[in-house]
This record gives sequence, structure tokens and C-alpha cells, in this order.
Amino acid sequence: MTTPEARDAGQPVRGRRQWPLPKQAVPGAPLLEVEHLSVRFKMASGPSVKPVDDVSFRLDDGDALGIAGESGCGKTTTALSLVRLLPANGRISNGSVKLFGIDLVPKTERQLARYRWREISMVFQGAMNALNPVKRIGDQIAEPLEVRLGQPRDASLKRAGDLLELVGIPRQRASAYPHELSGGMRQRAMIAMALACDPAIVIGDEPTTALDVMVQAQILVLLERLRRDLGLSLILITHDLSVIAETCDRVMVMYAGKVAEEGPVRRVFTAPRHPYTAKLLSAVPNIRADRRNLEVIPGMPPDLRTPPPGCRFAPRCDKAMPQCTTEVPPEVRFSDGVRVACHLFPPGSVGALSGDAAKLVVAASMPVTPPPGEARP
Amino acid sequence: MSALTAAVRRPSRTRGFREFLGRFGGRSDGIVGVAILAVFAILALAPALFVGPLENAVTASGSPLDPPSAAHLLGTDELGRDLLNMTVHGARISMTIGLLATLITVVVGVGIGIMSGFLGGRWDAFLMWLTDVFLVLPNLVLAIALAPILLSLVGDEAEIFGIKAKLIVIVIVIGLTSWATTARIIRSQVLSLKERAFVDRARVIGTGSGRIMRRHILPNIINLIVAQAVLTFAYAVFTETSLSFIGLGDPFSPSWGQILNAAQEAGAPGLLAWWYIAPPAVCVVLVVVAFTLVGNALDDVLNPKSGARR
Amino acid sequence: MNGRYLVNKLARAFLTIVAIMLLNFLLFRAMPGSSVRLTHSPYQTQEQIDQQAHKLGLDQPLLPDQLVTYIRQTLSGELGDSFKFKGQPVTQVIGDRLGPTLLLIGLGEVIAIVLGLALGAYSGWRRGSAVDRIGGGIGLILYSMPYFVIGMPLIVIFAAALGWFPTSGMLTAGVVYDSWTDQLFDFLRHLVLPLATVSLGLIGGYSILMRAAIAETRAEDYVTTARAKGLTDGRILRTHAFPNAMLPMVTIIAINLGYVVGGAITAEIVFNWPGIGTLTVDALSARDYPVLQGIFLMLAVAVVLANLVADLVYGLLDPRVRS
Repeated sequence: MTTPEARDAGQPVRGRRQWPLPKQAVPGAPLLEVEHLSVRFKMASGPSVKPVDDVSFRLDDGDALGIAGESGCGKTTTALSLVRLLPANGRISNGSVKLFGIDLVPKTERQLARYRWREISMVFQGAMNALNPVKRIGDQIAEPLEVRLGQPRDASLKRAGDLLELVGIPRQRASAYPHELSGGMRQRAMIAMALACDPAIVIGDEPTTALDVMVQAQILVLLERLRRDLGLSLILITHDLSVIAETCDRVMVMYAGKVAEEGPVRRVFTAPRHPYTAKLLSAVPNIRADRRNLEVIPGMPPDLRTPPPGCRFAPRCDKAMPQCTTEVPPEVRFSDGVRVACHLFPPGSVGALSGDAAKLVVAASMPVTPPPGEARP
Repeated sequence: MSALTAAVRRPSRTRGFREFLGRFGGRSDGIVGVAILAVFAILALAPALFVGPLENAVTASGSPLDPPSAAHLLGTDELGRDLLNMTVHGARISMTIGLLATLITVVVGVGIGIMSGFLGGRWDAFLMWLTDVFLVLPNLVLAIALAPILLSLVGDEAEIFGIKAKLIVIVIVIGLTSWATTARIIRSQVLSLKERAFVDRARVIGTGSGRIMRRHILPNIINLIVAQAVLTFAYAVFTETSLSFIGLGDPFSPSWGQILNAAQEAGAPGLLAWWYIAPPAVCVVLVVVAFTLVGNALDDVLNPKSGARR
Repeated sequence: MNGRYLVNKLARAFLTIVAIMLLNFLLFRAMPGSSVRLTHSPYQTQEQIDQQAHKLGLDQPLLPDQLVTYIRQTLSGELGDSFKFKGQPVTQVIGDRLGPTLLLIGLGEVIAIVLGLALGAYSGWRRGSAVDRIGGGIGLILYSMPYFVIGMPLIVIFAAALGWFPTSGMLTAGVVYDSWTDQLFDFLRHLVLPLATVSLGLIGGYSILMRAAIAETRAEDYVTTARAKGLTDGRILRTHAFPNAMLPMVTIIAINLGYVVGGAITAEIVFNWPGIGTLTVDALSARDYPVLQGIFLMLAVAVVLANLVADLVYGLLDPRVRS
């Protein structure tokens, strides 16, 4: 993200956006806008399943969005569907995914491939499996440069070395195989790989889950540094709320394929509105608090082949009201930037926005494409 | 996805079996295989019912090397014997040899596999070395070495329990060359079961070894044994056909391989006597394919996580 | 590669060869009646028979003297003399026939590997598609057909009915060739059907195995990463899936090579190809035990060596084993 001072002085922004925006980019559009996204999996037998149901969110330039929730809540599927990395029996059944204002959903596989890695790249959990075990990591990092960007081999390898140093790995290690690196280094290598084409967005799917706490901290520090220096935008998927608290600006809590609550991290974590968010937060032990019993959320997430009518969390919610089992709660925006889908906060609650006002609040940060008239360094 | 898994309930025996039937029934490859095998099993059990007694050189009903006709649907061989008659009787001989060989393989292979996996240590090392040696021996070569020696011991035309010695030698050879694969697979399953948490849990609460073997390890192994046995049957039929073709079979017991041996000796290919070749060949392929389909289907249904394959 | 791995594999191979020699000894010397079988040749006089018996040490006690003699002789390549081939040393008899077999098997393997791996990779990648089902089905059927079940119909159709190729042999008998090109052409004509038989017999197995190997790699995370990188399907198959699938396949191919020499016996019989296979059958019917024993030893050791090569090659290819 450019600082106002740097922009005014006409200085080139360090690292940011080496490549021009895609030709189809809409001026003034936010970096990523996902609206009413639904994904359907066709099952071998029985009804099809919607692991992602009517999910909307927005990512602005330079932001870090955390997607939180239990296993199976659809957070990973949501992220994968952004670049359509779905399994053979899955497809996006509804909604739009607008990158720079360009809707990716109607694009063919070939058209979509242009955006993969160059605009949106991914860092997967468990880099041991996500890296090809029989190829050297330098080659794997250089691969998108050679194949996607058509750069000559030695230039690609040199850049791979640069990227490794950027993430704190000595460049000689480029000739190493994945199994020769420690877990933390593999994850760094994956991050270096994700940065190869200078993407606008990096999606991290549980990037630190498989690592021990010390290494986890290092990775998070690294991500934060890269974000700052390169102006990266991040989507972090994790069930670990502490990671989100440390690294992200905004958080989206998902449950059973739907969005429960979404907003600035500080607001959501200090004053959660949705009962599920509250329960999630209370499940995190506080090292400074007095001893108390572990709080668990009774029951299990619903079987998505037959989702419950109304609010999906109702069967496990201790604040459930009669209408929760019959009506799906509508999403309501509040003036502090938080969105909730819960009958405890119906439209018209204190602080809730309505109509156009709701849309205006969301456009808080600078759009990624400057309006015409402003010079871009 | 945890959202999709229903709560697990321990099935009773009958429900388990019905579930199995349901899952197996959904597999078209397994069903086709079973159908084919059923046909051949019926033919093998009572061949005389369908085509009358086995024809020999004396009772040959037709003239030599007649192509298929109304009288002889599959033609005749060089001695005038009706090939439909021979082929149907051949089903019984081929399948019986296959069955006996499979029994030997399963008994020896499973026994050694369980012992090796369960006892571990020196026993395991020794048995595995032995298994390696047998794995290495090419079956045809072993047969060629063993058969004449064994036969010279008992006499070429000897019979044991009414079965020709030559055929018994074939059964033994097939058993000797296929037990090793089964032993390996069973052993690796036993090893992984030994390490599994539920065995440890059983031990921790004080369950004795015997009970662990019976209630925990054995049920899981039975599935594997069944699937392996079917696949072994396929291999046995395949190998018996080859061994008979080479000449190790009994000319008076025309298994499919033996018929093909006779065809080759009579020069059938060069004489365009396709009817001599096609029936036994097609039968062999059908049966082997059928066993393989069923075996693979069983393996998939009963052992959904198993990656070990021959 | 790892020195420890190498030593381990060499030791195992050595021990297995020892076991094979012992088994050979057990079968051909220790079983009752062996001395008769090994010497009672209808082609030699009693004097020659006694000479032979003495040379092989059959007049010595079984253990340890005969065993030692046997081991000594075997290691120095002295495997006895053939009955059927009028006293020629077994090594020579076998050596004469090795060439045609190796040629047939070698070419057959090359064709089967290239085609089988390609077909298997393609159908394994597009799992569940029509190509996959058909390819898998054909592969299974071929895999279930012994060589002679493939060969005999080929002869009927292409040699007897259509007359394109000869029905048997490696060269036309009793012909004098005008030039070496004529001989080569004649040889090639004879080679086509046996080669097709061996290749078809092997393709089935390879394609099925490769299909499984590729299908497994398809489910791996690094393939998802490759897709996320925006690489084309073809490129992912070629540069990511294939190298990983080849690791187990190389092992399988190498091991298979050991067996194929023995397994092609039936193919040689059908075409009367003058190789080890037909030699074996001839020796069998003539009860030529010295030759049988030599073939047994050779083929079994070949399998062990093939396994060893497979292990070594795997050790070189898989970087995880290398270090």
C-alpha cells in the first residue's frame, strides 16, 4: 500500500505491483468482492451438498482478512472456489467473485488460468505434501515464472533465489528437496513460491497449523513484514482465532457454510454479536484469567445434506428463539463495520444501518485502481 | 467433512452383512464378475448334466477337426471329440485345480503372514526372507523344475485319492508360487493392526492377547483374506492354464490349458482350426477377468482404505 | 545414494542367491533318485554316464562333499553336460538360445513400457472418463490373457488366414539368402507376430499399474498446488504427476524384467521361437535334467538381479532415499 507521502513524492513503490493491472480491470473497484457465493458438490448418492451457501465479503487493497470457523464450515472451500480449485464434483452454483471488478465466475477454465497465481496465489497447510517431493524447491518456485510469465530459466532461478532470501532462507537452499527442509522452512518456501508472480492476493489455508508455536510466530511475523513491505493483501483461513487476532484487520466467522459474523477484528473479538462467535472466543483459554471449566459447544455441526431450516446454528445455540428454527436470519450491517446474521440482531436494531447507508460504510478504504486523473508511480 | 458424517453406530452382524450386500451390489464390475462366475460354477459342478459324459478317443462323436455345425456347436478336435463337451468338462477341471491351489495358498500364506506379523523379531526376519525367496522364483520355472522330479518319485500315471498325480503337482506348484504374495499382504495388515490405537486400548484395559486376536485383528483380516483368496483364484486358473499348455498337465483330464496344448500339438493355428482354440481361450479369459473384477470389488468394498495391492 | 541402503540391498540379494543355489541343490541333487536322473541319459554309454557321475561328484556323500563340489562348480560355470544335446555343456546349450529370447523379450518390453505407461497415464489422469473405462477394460482383458491365448488367435488371423506373416520360427527353414538385407527382412517378418504377442501380453499389466499410480498422484496436494499455479492439465501430468508415478513404476518394471524371461516360455512355444522357452520344453520332455537345472538357476538368479537393479535404480531416483 502506498503511503500518501511516497505517492506524493513520485517515488516508485517498493515491490508493489510490478505488473500492470489486468486489461479488464474496472477503475474504482475494490480489490476483491465476493457476493452471494454458493458452491454445490454433487454427491455419489443422495442430494447434493452446499458447503458454501450465500457467502459475501470484500477484501480491500492491503487488507488482511481472516476466515474462521470449525472444520467443515466451508472456509477452505470458499477460498478454493475463488480460483475454482474445486474437485471434479464441485461447481460454483451462484454468486460472483469480482477481482478488480472482473467477475471470475463466468470465465472459462482457460480464461481463469490467467488469474491463478498471478493475481491470487495460495499457501497450503502442510507444505510437505503441497510441495512436489521429487523436485528441488528452487525449480518449484521458478516454475510459474518460466511457464506463466515466460521468463528465461536463469532469470527465473535468480528470482527464486531472491524470493527465498526475502522469506529468510539462504539462497543456496534452492537446490534442496522439500524433505531436506524443516517444517518452518518448507512453509517459508511455500510463501516464497506464492509470491513469485507478485500477486495481489495471497490466500493462506491454515498456513501455520502444522507448525509448533515458536515457528508459527516466526511465520506470522514474516507474513506481517511481507504485507507491509510488498503491500500484499491476505486471506488467512484458520480455526485458530489467536492467529487472526494477531495478523488480520478483518475477520469473517463461518458456520455450516454460511457467514455468521464479519467485521473488524477488534470489534468482533471484543464485542461479538453472534452467539457462535461468542462461544468460539470463550473456547480459547485465557492464560491470564482465573481457572475455570473448559467451555464446549454441545452437539455437532449439521449434516449439510439436510441442513436445518432457519438458522443453522439454532440447534446448538443457547439463545435460540422460536423463529430461529424456521427463518433464515438476514444479514444486518452495523455502523461499526460489523455484519451479523442472527435473529438477535434484526434489521432495525440499535446501530444497524439500512438501505444505501449499509453499502456506503463498506467502502471505507482506498480502491485499488485510482480514479482517473491520479498518476500512478 | 465432519458435517457429512453421521454419528457412528456399531453395526450388528446382520446389518453389517446387508450393508455389505448393498455396497457390493452398487458396483457393476463386481456384479458382472459374480454373474460370470456363477455360470461357470454351475457348469463346473455338473458338466455331464449339460453335455453328457466326457468324450474320449473311443467315444468321440464326430470326425476330426470339423468346424462348428449344428451337430457340434463348437466343432471337433483332431480325435473327433466334441469341443463343447470338452470345454464344459474343462470348466470343472480348471476350476477344481484352481480351488485346491487357492486353498493351499490361503492356508499357507495367511498362516505365515499372521505368524510373521504377530511374532515379530527373529521369526519375522526369517519368515520374510523365506517369503522373499519364494517371491523371487518364477512360477513356470519352478514348475518345470519341480514337476518332473515329483513325478519321477511317484510315477507319471500315479493317482492320489483318485486325482492324477500330475494335477496334484500342478496344484502344489501353484500353491508354492503364490503363497508368498498373500503372506506379505496379510503380514503388513497384521503389523498395522498391531500398532493401531484400538489394540493398545484393549491392552490397557486388560484384554488378553488371544481375545485381541479374535475380536480385533481377525475380523479385519478376514476381509482381506477373502479379497485376496478371490484374486489368488484368478492367478491359479491363469497359471494352471499355462502349466498345462506347456505339457505338465494330464492329457486325459482336459482342462482348458490342456485343450489348448492339444490344439497347439495338432497344429490348430496353422490349420485355421479356430474353433479348437477359441472356446477354451475365451473361457479362461472370462474366468480370470471375472475373478479379478470380483476380487477388486471385494477389496474396495471391504477394505476401503487399503492401498496394498498385488 | 545412501551407503547403508546399498549395502542392505546387496546383502539381501546375495542371501537370496545363496538360497536359490541351495534350493537348486535340494531339488536336483538331494531329492531321492537324483543321481539317476542326473546321469541316466539315453544318449550316452554306461562308461560316459559313470564319467559324468564322477565329474559331478555324485559318488561322494551328499553333505558336505557334494554340496561343496556343487557350489564350486556352479560358481565356476560348470553346470554339467546336456543329455539331449549330446554332451554339450549346459552353459553352451543355454547360451546358444539366450540371444533370440533376449531379443524378443527386450523389444517386447520396450514397446509395452512405452505404450503401456502412456496409456495408463492418460487413462489414470482422466479417471472415470470413457477413455479410462475402455482403456482399463482392455488392459484388464489383456492382463488376463496368457501369451499363448494372445498368440494363437494372432496366428490364425494374420498368418494362416491372411498370410501376411509366417506361422512359426525365427527364420524360414532351409533358405539361402541372397544378401543380408534379405535375411534381415525374413527375420523381421518372423518377428512381428511373436513381438506383438509379447508386447500385448505386457501392456495390460503396465497400463493398469500406471493408471493406479497416476490416479494416486492426482489426489496429492502438490497437484492442487500446481493447479493453483495456473499450469495446464497436460503440463501438470507431465512434469508433476508422471515423475512421481514413475517411482513405483520403475521398481515394478525392473522386477518384471526378471520374470518375463521365464514367462515368455509359452509365447516361444506358440511360435516355435528358438529361445530359452522352447529349450525348456524340449528339456522337459527329454527329461534333460542338467539343462533343466541350469535354466532354473539362471532364471531365478536373473530375477534376483533384476530386483537388485530395481532397488538400486529406485535409490537413485527417489531423492528421499538418496540422502
